[in-house]
Amino acid sequence: MSQETPLQDPLRFHRKAPPCAVVIYGANGDLTKRKLMPALYRLAYEGRLAPGFAVVGVSRTAMTNDEFRDRMKESVKKFLEDSPFDEDLWHSFAQGLSYVAGDVGDPASFGEVAKHLAVVEQAHKTEDNVLFYLSTQPSQYAEIAEGLAAAGLNKGKGWRRIVIEKPFGHDLESARALQARLQKCFNENEIYRIDHYLGKETVQNIMAFRFGNGIFEPLWNRTYIDHVQITAAESIGVEGRGAYYQEAGALRDMIQNHLLQVMATVAMEPASSFTSDAVRDERAKLLRAIRIMRPDQVADNAVAGQYGPGRSGSERVVGFRQEKGVSPDSQTDTYAAVTFLVDNWRWAGVPFYIRTGKALPKRVSEIAIQFRVAPLAMFRKATAGAETVPNMLILRIQPEEGISLKFVSKRPGSGMQLRPVSMDFNYGSSFGERSPSAYETLLLDAISGDATLYTRQDMVEASWTAVQPIMDYWTTQKFNFPNYEAGTWGPKEADEMLARWGHTWRKP
Amino acid sequence: MPAVEAIKPDKILKELGELWTNIGKPESSDEESQDGGVLRACAMTLISFVDDEEDAAALSETLAVLMKEHPSRAVVVRVKEGEDALSARVFAQCWMPFGHRRQICCEQVEITASMDRLADVAAIVAPLAVPDLPRVILLRSARVVRAGAIRKILPLGDKIVVDSARPGAPGFGELGGLLDAGHIAGDLAWTRITETRSLLAQILEGRKAANITVEYDGKEAGPETRYLHAWLESCLPDTRVALKGSGTAACGKPRTIRVDSDLTIQLTRGCAEIERGDVHQWANLPVGTDEELLNAELNIVVHDHIFERVLNQITA
Repeated sequence: MSQETPLQDPLRFHRKAPPCAVVIYGANGDLTKRKLMPALYRLAYEGRLAPGFAVVGVSRTAMTNDEFRDRMKESVKKFLEDSPFDEDLWHSFAQGLSYVAGDVGDPASFGEVAKHLAVVEQAHKTEDNVLFYLSTQPSQYAEIAEGLAAAGLNKGKGWRRIVIEKPFGHDLESARALQARLQKCFNENEIYRIDHYLGKETVQNIMAFRFGNGIFEPLWNRTYIDHVQITAAESIGVEGRGAYYQEAGALRDMIQNHLLQVMATVAMEPASSFTSDAVRDERAKLLRAIRIMRPDQVADNAVAGQYGPGRSGSERVVGFRQEKGVSPDSQTDTYAAVTFLVDNWRWAGVPFYIRTGKALPKRVSEIAIQFRVAPLAMFRKATAGAETVPNMLILRIQPEEGISLKFVSKRPGSGMQLRPVSMDFNYGSSFGERSPSAYETLLLDAISGDATLYTRQDMVEASWTAVQPIMDYWTTQKFNFPNYEAGTWGPKEADEMLARWGHTWRKP
Repeated sequence: MPAVEAIKPDKILKELGELWTNIGKPESSDEESQDGGVLRACAMTLISFVDDEEDAAALSETLAVLMKEHPSRAVVVRVKEGEDALSARVFAQCWMPFGHRRQICCEQVEITASMDRLADVAAIVAPLAVPDLPRVILLRSARVVRAGAIRKILPLGDKIVVDSARPGAPGFGELGGLLDAGHIAGDLAWTRITETRSLLAQILEGRKAANITVEYDGKEAGPETRYLHAWLESCLPDTRVALKGSGTAACGKPRTIRVDSDLTIQLTRGCAEIERGDVHQWANLPVGTDEELLNAELNIVVHDHIFERVLNQITA
């Protein structure tokens, strides 16, 4: 929506979606039920959707429109977070829901969708704008895009966009192959690659923190920052998703996409403006600046782990190899830790440690920026070395989103005794209002044509390029798994990796 | 008549300091209690003027809701008729966010003053404002609006918020006066039509309308209707924008907007029904509670040029 029109009031109006139809492939799947439909309903609740809005569900299951609406209603009631369910609102929202049964393997099914969309356009005045959301197996992305193009659905009087979820390929080569097929059907600016981590409020807040304040950016470089630790820990194991996870692993599932995007957000240069391409250009530049490891460097800079039996709190947890659907000699990494270096003037020589894992002691995602210690230890004699504690800035992504600054302070009383203290900013307490879910933000962005928080193909390729040598090296190794107990902070090799730099992992 | 005890801002600030020392102390010596503690939160000074008769619980509830989005040092001035009175007390409002271990607390100063002491109130409140943060005055007291002392009170705030739809509240004339004096002003009657305006902006975008009629319930257009009418007129100078009342006894709120002969937008509580020829559409139109409207207004501590333009058009 243009901000130039005379009726607009940018100071007060919330962004509203333009009229459109959202076509969800995989409409009977888990993602649609748990995330997409609750997010769309919530957008309707907040009055963000245009009067001309419709959702078309597509999947193989035979269903009537009413049956689809009933299923979606149950899902919204069950999975709607921090929001009331309003029966009247649902009634109105559901008028825009309809369903088409079809198998993506059958070319005729795309013709059926085209016919149905024409009816939807007549009934709801969606201005022929269509967002195709592929909530399907990644292996079907290219096939669906080609089916849409063959049926002429990739072009119309209004705009056409296609949203796909990670993984975008399973390595650099397959990512490029996928792109080659997608770009024959849709232009790059019509392809929205969703990374729900970037939709999280606190990840977006990293940019506000860095570029909305004047005091931090001067310190944000190799002169003042010693190293950066990015942690995404899960306290649970794979919990029944062993078969899927066995094909992915921690490096592919988390580091290649989510955590490298987070790292790019932390380390990128300021964009010239907060526009989609300006921000993504800077993220992409940072990802391209990551030093690519030679095969002989991987062992020292990347650690794979897999959990064995252990405890999560008071509960006993089975090892990964004992999970259903997992091979008893699986070589899948349920833990990965990597040291990345960035070859640019700002970050030369500053290690970025990234780790992620299942069955770790707690669920926490955070970025810890450790500053260099004060150049002169003038209080050493009086404080038993307390002043050598480095300052640390913690950007917590979950669970309690916020920012903490650790520094030393004088203890009350005579003498000069120092002790570390923490200054906390708690996102939830300073802003009591409800934060939108990542999917609400990202769906509204896609419908509004704002791709700032979506991943571009050059970013996808740059992040695959950064992890490809690690994947290649690991496939040549036979790991002695399991190498960490469930409920612990990962294998000892990860500690040794940091010890080589004189660092230790923070225990969040 | 007994002399009223003098109130010193320094003493109030000292009491606030002591208050925080006390509520920051753990209730027990166990480790969990010490881990939790309280978080002092403050993003602005919110100065509310209310008539003493106003339900204390209602105001307290409003402030408690506001605190969550706009943690502030709240200064509540209760204005009463009658004898010489001036007193103050300090306390904190705390809440425990769901799933957290640490309480969040905001401080509150309550001042009770008779009309003849309003001039003193300005001298007490000014030093209580938190430095470097916005100061917003919420003017709910009809008495204060009428009082001469208001000239001393208004400079205390960076922004003055009123609700012209409330009985006895400042009207368009007083609001215009605030703007003329260079104040930032906000009116909840204007905030109340934000969602309706936003919907109209979306529906009318790119459309050249020749005639728009804003229909309202009642014999006289209420503030919301007048704002809506003036806004449309100011934004669409080539469109004839008319007002039409139902003539019944009602509060003058906007009910239907007719655009030329082919588009009707019916405003019912919480929703808008849109008829375009044979297409019938619907849009959710969230109705803001007073607290939500205030929250929205507290987000804007700068001149709102669109509001000011519309208000000037009404008062011209």
